Amino acid sequence: MIAVLELFLRLAAWLLLAPLLPGIINRVKSWVAGRRGPPVLQLYYDLARLWRKGIVLSTAVSPAHIAGPALAWVALVGAALLLPVGQAGATLSFRGDALLFVYLLAFARFCLALAALDTGSAFAGMGVAREVSYAVLAEAAIITALLTLCVQSNSVSLVTMLAPSAGAGAALLAAGLFGVLLAENCRVPFDDPNTHLELTMIHEAMVLDHSGPPLAAILHGAALKLLLFAVLLTEAVLPLGKLSLLPALAALAGSVLLVAVIAGLVESLMARLAFRRVPLLLTTAFVLCVFALLVAWKGGMP
Amino acid sequence: MTPGGLLGIAGIGLTAGILGAFKAPRLWLAATLTGAAAAFAAAVWALATGPVWDWQPGFVIGGEALHLRLDGLSAFFLLLLSVLGGAGTLYAAEYWADRDHPVSAPSARAWWNGLLLSMGGVLLCANGLHFLIGWEIFTVCAYFLITTERQRPAARAAGWLYLAASHVAMVCLFAFFALLAARTGGWELGPMGDRPGLAPLFWLALVGFGLKAGLFPLHIWLPSAHANAPSHVSAILSGMAIKLGIYGLVRFTGWLPVPDSAGWVVALLGVVSAVLGVAFALGQHDLKRLLAYHSVENIGIILIGLGFAMIAAAQGQAAWGRLALAGALLHIWNHGLFKALLFLGAGSVVHATGTREMSRLGGLWRALPWTASLFALAATAIAGLPPLNGFVSEWLVYLGLFDAVSAHGTAAYAAIPAAVALGLTGALALACFVKVCGVVFLGLPRTPISRHVHECGWRMRLPMLGLGAACVAIGLAPVLFWPALVSAADAWQPGWVDDASSTPLATLGSFHLALAGLVILAAVLLWRRVKQNGIRRAGTWDCGYAAPAPRMQYTAGSFAGIITGWFDWILRPVRHAHLPKDNFPARADFAEHTPETVLERVIEPAGSLVQRLSLAVRRLQDGRVQAYILYLLLGLAALAILAVMGGPR
Repeated sequence: MIAVLELFLRLAAWLLLAPLLPGIINRVKSWVAGRRGPPVLQLYYDLARLWRKGIVLSTAVSPAHIAGPALAWVALVGAALLLPVGQAGATLSFRGDALLFVYLLAFARFCLALAALDTGSAFAGMGVAREVSYAVLAEAAIITALLTLCVQSNSVSLVTMLAPSAGAGAALLAAGLFGVLLAENCRVPFDDPNTHLELTMIHEAMVLDHSGPPLAAILHGAALKLLLFAVLLTEAVLPLGKLSLLPALAALAGSVLLVAVIAGLVESLMARLAFRRVPLLLTTAFVLCVFALLVAWKGGMP
Repeated sequence: MTPGGLLGIAGIGLTAGILGAFKAPRLWLAATLTGAAAAFAAAVWALATGPVWDWQPGFVIGGEALHLRLDGLSAFFLLLLSVLGGAGTLYAAEYWADRDHPVSAPSARAWWNGLLLSMGGVLLCANGLHFLIGWEIFTVCAYFLITTERQRPAARAAGWLYLAASHVAMVCLFAFFALLAARTGGWELGPMGDRPGLAPLFWLALVGFGLKAGLFPLHIWLPSAHANAPSHVSAILSGMAIKLGIYGLVRFTGWLPVPDSAGWVVALLGVVSAVLGVAFALGQHDLKRLLAYHSVENIGIILIGLGFAMIAAAQGQAAWGRLALAGALLHIWNHGLFKALLFLGAGSVVHATGTREMSRLGGLWRALPWTASLFALAATAIAGLPPLNGFVSEWLVYLGLFDAVSAHGTAAYAAIPAAVALGLTGALALACFVKVCGVVFLGLPRTPISRHVHECGWRMRLPMLGLGAACVAIGLAPVLFWPALVSAADAWQPGWVDDASSTPLATLGSFHLALAGLVILAAVLLWRRVKQNGIRRAGTWDCGYAAPAPRMQYTAGSFAGIITGWFDWILRPVRHAHLPKDNFPARADFAEHTPETVLERVIEPAGSLVQRLSLAVRRLQDGRVQAYILYLLLGLAALAILAVMGGPR
């Protein structure tokens, strides 16, 4: 009974807190630009409105158009259950769950990509092609980051991998993972969530033809993914395992907030990169992770 | 009933099938299916109960006494063979029926049974000579199946290339078995780990079996052969025939001692095959050619697992070696299942539309709902995504690699790049199958051909459903299949795999089960919500473009363009472009074709060089006696000089 209650509490925390991050990023952006900006809770209002709206369905689409967002959302929630929260641990933890985490994110990408291609729109095709291509480099970087954590902790389970700090290579790993975070969540400089030109979009071009509840599932899933990456980044870098339950949670919350603020600042101060430069930046993130791995390897040697 | 009896029934059934292939297709179907079922039962019996079935009836074939043996490893492959053989048989009954192919269908049925029989024979033979005979029959049967449509030049060329490549492999295997027999004093096969002098023979086996398995760069025959064969043949070629190459490698690395560097080389070849296989796949526009390159990729994943298992065996590191080995073995089954399903699905598309060219297809899900959903299922599995079987085996390989890394030994230097390469491969395969499913099944029909098509009948659908169910079963309950893995791994390295390593597998299985239940639930709930809110139908919005046409959809080439650009250095795509120029541009066009680089840039130039050299040498023989006398004199002079200068001391 208690286990079920705990599961629901965790789920509620993940699902309810996720839409906060994009709001914070937007607030930072408007603050830097000297605008008043939308309320922090704007995404909550948007989601509630979308959930009640009817949808316009293209005549070209198959059932995958609706199923895709649902499948992707479930996969992301599943990934959230694998990620430990400070000292409170994860809902489910076993040897090798780190890889399951990465592949659940890939599964979500696969479902959204098919749902987007379903419309037959050339813009969607463009967006999907970019999304899955850049994800190749991001995946290499994230596997390298996991290898770093594995070398450090001699474990393949997220709970033990994320408990200690990344040691001497922490700054390198943080920089690498932050790059992956920006790329995977379609933030500037990889993608501009607010652009008005479809030709230059990645993620937004994929969801152009979605509306109503499926769009709500996609938007909420995207917010959840951002939170997942922010938590992963924080826990990989900070030695939360050394703190007790509440301080660890507070440190986690504070650092996730900090990640959001930095993402907002990056978005305010940088322009989106030209597409041919995106692979270079992602490769840089990968190389940073490789260096973190080398540092960890050297440090782990007896 | 003992496995001997069951295997006897299987043999009789398949032989009866050959007899019935020409006049009685129904008899052929019944006999072949019975044979496959009996072989399945024998394999399950051997995997479940454990003891090795050994049979020496005393017949002499080619001067050697017949000796058949069914141990865990052969039963492991025999099970896959019987499943794919049964599925392909039922599928062929409709796909390559007498009605559509009056000339080729009967002979294709006969060769099909010959192929199944000889592959089964290879798995059972415990005598080197009979192994070679079975191997050659299997090679030839496959040749006649690949050239089933021999009126098409492409099929003849593919068959010829296959035959040539196979016989290069055959030469290596002749040398391998002959040297083995010469050094051990007999053709009997069995564990010979105590004779370190046999280790160098491994390199011959690697080339011989590697050519058959299609590892990069020995894969040159594979794409065209798989693309031009009828789809049920492609399914068994990709699902089973290339796995016999893997069988040979696993078998003989288990029985014979191997050189120290063997594991490293196999792992390196695995990494290269995995990454480049999928890179070439992304460049393809032909549906079946694309799937064929994915076989190269998956053979690479299997070899990564096997290579690290060999490194672990050499270093005595059972802890992570067994995970890599279990992953490799399970991936053999998994790849057999989902790749056969993909080829059968591709066959259904070809059957319905008559083309393999992806850029002419599109929107097929309406006409082929079964094919489309099963193809998407298999695509999810081959991309290594949870909760299906492809993820389970890749996950085991990953675990082996990660454990090797955390052991901080020398193997970690190879395991780190291998793990990153495996991640790259997974993401590239995902991109490739998004492309295939999106371009072929989703969107709108690009040309009129895909508008008037119909779904395949039950005899083609049933095998696909069965294979799909197997993919789901291994994904959701991997622990059920663990005993089979243990049984096969025991034949490779006795006592290596224990039950304890299956614990995280059970947890993974329950997670997959929950995930599968929840995704279905979520999809249903979302669909109900959408219906409740109301649906309006309209054309694709496409940013308000007024007159979108199906031809304006993204094509397979443009989809893969970003990634193929990264691999330009090896793919060497050939581009023909007339781009629009000036203010009033004329008609513009663009075409891109990815050749088989190794074949066209390495093998063919080398072949023509040999040909030119031979032609140059032939000029020596011009028919004039004077010239010949000159050669004689020159030869004598050379001998004289040799005798004077370097005479014996």
